[in-house]
Amino acid sequence: MNLSNLIILFIVIPMGTGVLGVLFKYQVGLMRVLGSLSLASTALLAVGLLIHLRSHETGILVTQMGAWPAPYGISVVFDSLSGLLLAASSLVALGCYVHSFSTVSAAAQARYFHPMVQLLMFGVNLAFLTGDLFNLFVSFEIMLMASYCLLTFGGTRLQMTQAYKYVLLNLVGSTIFVIGAGLVYGMTGTLNFADLARFVAERQALGEDLPTGFTALSIALLLVFGLKGAIFPLWFWLPDTYYTANVSIAGLFAGMLTKVGIYAIARTFPMIFAHGGSEATKVVMPILAISAAFTMFLGVLGAVSHHNIRRILAVHVISQVGYMVFGLALMTQIALAGCLFYMIQHMVVKSCLFLCCGIIERHTGTDDLDRSGGLLRRDWYLALVFFIAAMSLVGLPPLSGFFGKLVIIREGWDTRWWLSIFGLLTGALTLLSMLKIWSYCFWSPQAAAVERPAGESPPPGSMRPAYAGATLLVLVALFLGFGAQPVYEIAFRAGEQLADPRDYITAVLGPESLDHLAGRDLRSPAELAAAARREATP
Amino acid sequence: MTLILAICVAVTFAVSIYLMTARELKSIAMGVFLLGHAANLSIIAMSRTPVRHEPQLLKGPPILNASFNPAQPMSQIVDPLPQALILTAIVIGFAVMAFLLSLLVITSRKTGTLSVEVLAREGVEE
Repeated sequence: MNLSNLIILFIVIPMGTGVLGVLFKYQVGLMRVLGSLSLASTALLAVGLLIHLRSHETGILVTQMGAWPAPYGISVVFDSLSGLLLAASSLVALGCYVHSFSTVSAAAQARYFHPMVQLLMFGVNLAFLTGDLFNLFVSFEIMLMASYCLLTFGGTRLQMTQAYKYVLLNLVGSTIFVIGAGLVYGMTGTLNFADLARFVAERQALGEDLPTGFTALSIALLLVFGLKGAIFPLWFWLPDTYYTANVSIAGLFAGMLTKVGIYAIARTFPMIFAHGGSEATKVVMPILAISAAFTMFLGVLGAVSHHNIRRILAVHVISQVGYMVFGLALMTQIALAGCLFYMIQHMVVKSCLFLCCGIIERHTGTDDLDRSGGLLRRDWYLALVFFIAAMSLVGLPPLSGFFGKLVIIREGWDTRWWLSIFGLLTGALTLLSMLKIWSYCFWSPQAAAVERPAGESPPPGSMRPAYAGATLLVLVALFLGFGAQPVYEIAFRAGEQLADPRDYITAVLGPESLDHLAGRDLRSPAELAAAARREATP
Repeated sequence: MTLILAICVAVTFAVSIYLMTARELKSIAMGVFLLGHAANLSIIAMSRTPVRHEPQLLKGPPILNASFNPAQPMSQIVDPLPQALILTAIVIGFAVMAFLLSLLVITSRKTGTLSVEVLAREGVEE
C-alpha cells in the first residue's frame, strides 16, 4: 500500500469522530472512548510515520487529492515539520481531553463538547498538513469556529463579556487572510506552497525582481499569522480569552492555537515570503527580530506582575511565543530546528501546567495565589507534576525547555546577540514567575479554606482523569527532555527542509520541476551565511 | 470595469471600517460582515487578469490551460479559481456570521447590554 495515502487519516479520523459526536451526543461514555481513541490513533500514526521517515529518502510524503496534478489540485504534505507538530498536538489534545472528563460535567459534555474538540483537531491537523495557502485559510476557519464554541462553552456571564473580542479579532484577521490569499494568487498565479517557493526561488536564481507589492503582501500575512500566534503588538486578546474558558479547554488552546499561527509563519516565511534576497526579507527579518524581543520580555513581565495562576500561565504563553519568533527571525536551518523543538515542548509543557492549574483550582476552589497554599502536603503527586512541568518551562538542564532555548540562543549569539540576551533575561524572569506559583501554592502554609457552596464538593475519584491527563503530558515532557536526541534529529531535518526548499518543491511538484534551475543553490542568504560560519568554526 | 470594482471595494472597506469604530456590538458585527464582502470583491477584481509565471505555459488562467482552445481568445476566459475561492469564503463567512449573531443574542440576554464600554468594564471588575 502506498504509505502517503495514510496521511489523509489525520484529517478523516477527527472529522469522522466529530460527525459521530453530533449523532451520539447523549452517549457521553461512548463519545469519551471514541474521542480518546481518535486522538490516540492520530498521535500513534504521526509517531509511526515519523519513525518510518527517518530512513526515507526525502522525508516528505505527499498526497494529491483526487489525483489532480500538484499546482492545480489540493496537495496534502506530511514532512518533518508537520509530523512533529501533529504528534505533539494529538498528544496534547489527548491529555486535555482526558482531563476534561473531570472538569466538564457530563451534562455539559452532552452539549456538543466532544464534536467540538474533534473538529478543533480536524482544523489543526488540516492546517499542519495542507500544501496551499487557501486551504490553510479554510483550516484556520474550521479551527477557529470550533474554538469559538469551546471558548463560550458553558455560557457564563463572564465568558460572554469576553468572547466577542476573540471572535471579532479573529474575524478581521481571517478577512485580511482572504485578501492576502487573493493577492498572492493575483500576483503569482498560484497558491500552492511548493509552487510559490519555486516562483520565489526562480526569481532569486534568475536575478529578477518579485512582483510589486510582494513585500506589502508579506507584511499583511505576517499580521494575520502574528495575530493568531499572539506575537508582540498583536497579543492583547490572549490573556482575557484564556482566562475565561474552562481550564481543560484553556490548556488545549494554550497548547494548540498560538502554535498554529507560528507554524503558518514557519511554513510560509522561510520558504516563500522571506526567502532569498528579496525586499520582503529585508523588511520582515528585522520586524520579526524586534517583535521577538518585545514578545519575550513584555510577556514575561506581564506574567510576573499577575497574581493568579491562570493569568500568569496565560500571559506566559506570549513570552514563550517570543522564543519561537526568535528562532524564526534568525531563519537559519539550526534556528528553525530549535524553534520547532521549542514549539512542541512548549505545547506539551504549557498544557500540562494548565491541567495542573485545573487540579489546584479543584483543591483550593480558586486560582488566586493569596488564597491557596499548603498543597505540597495535601497532594505531593500534583506538586511533583507541576514542578517538572514548571522547570521544563523555565528550561533547567535535563528538562525539555533547556534544549529548545539552548539551540535558539546559541544560534542567535553570532548574528543577533541582543536577542539572545533578552532570551536569557526572560528565562530568569520565567523562573521567578514559576517560583511564585510554587511558593504560594505549594510551600506556603495552608490558607483559610474557601467555603464551597453546599452540594458542590466533587465526588471522590472524579479527579482521576485529570491526574491521568496531566501525567500523560508530563511523561511526554520528560521524554522530550531525556530523549531530545531523536526528536532533534527530526527537527534538524525539518529545519533543513525549510531553509532549503528544494526537497519540498520536488516532492510536491515532481522531480523535474526544478530542472530549469539545475544546480543552483536555493538556500536563503541567512542560511548560507550561517553555513559559512559553521564551516569557519569547527 | 476594473475602476468601478475598485471604487466598490474602496467604498465597502470605508463603510465597514466606519461601522467597526462604533461602540455598539451590533454595528461592529455589521462592519465585520461588510469587510468580508469587501475582501471577496477585491478578489473578483483580481481575477480578471490572470498571470502565470511559467513561460512554457500560456499566459492565462492556470486551470484552463490544460484544455485551452486556441480558437477562443484568452481575453474572453475568466479564471474560475478566484471564484472558487470566493465561494468558499462566502460559505465560511455565512457560518461565522450565524455564529456571531447568535453569540450577540446570548451576550445581550446574559448581560443585558451590547455596548462595548459596559462589557469591557464588567470584564475588569470580575
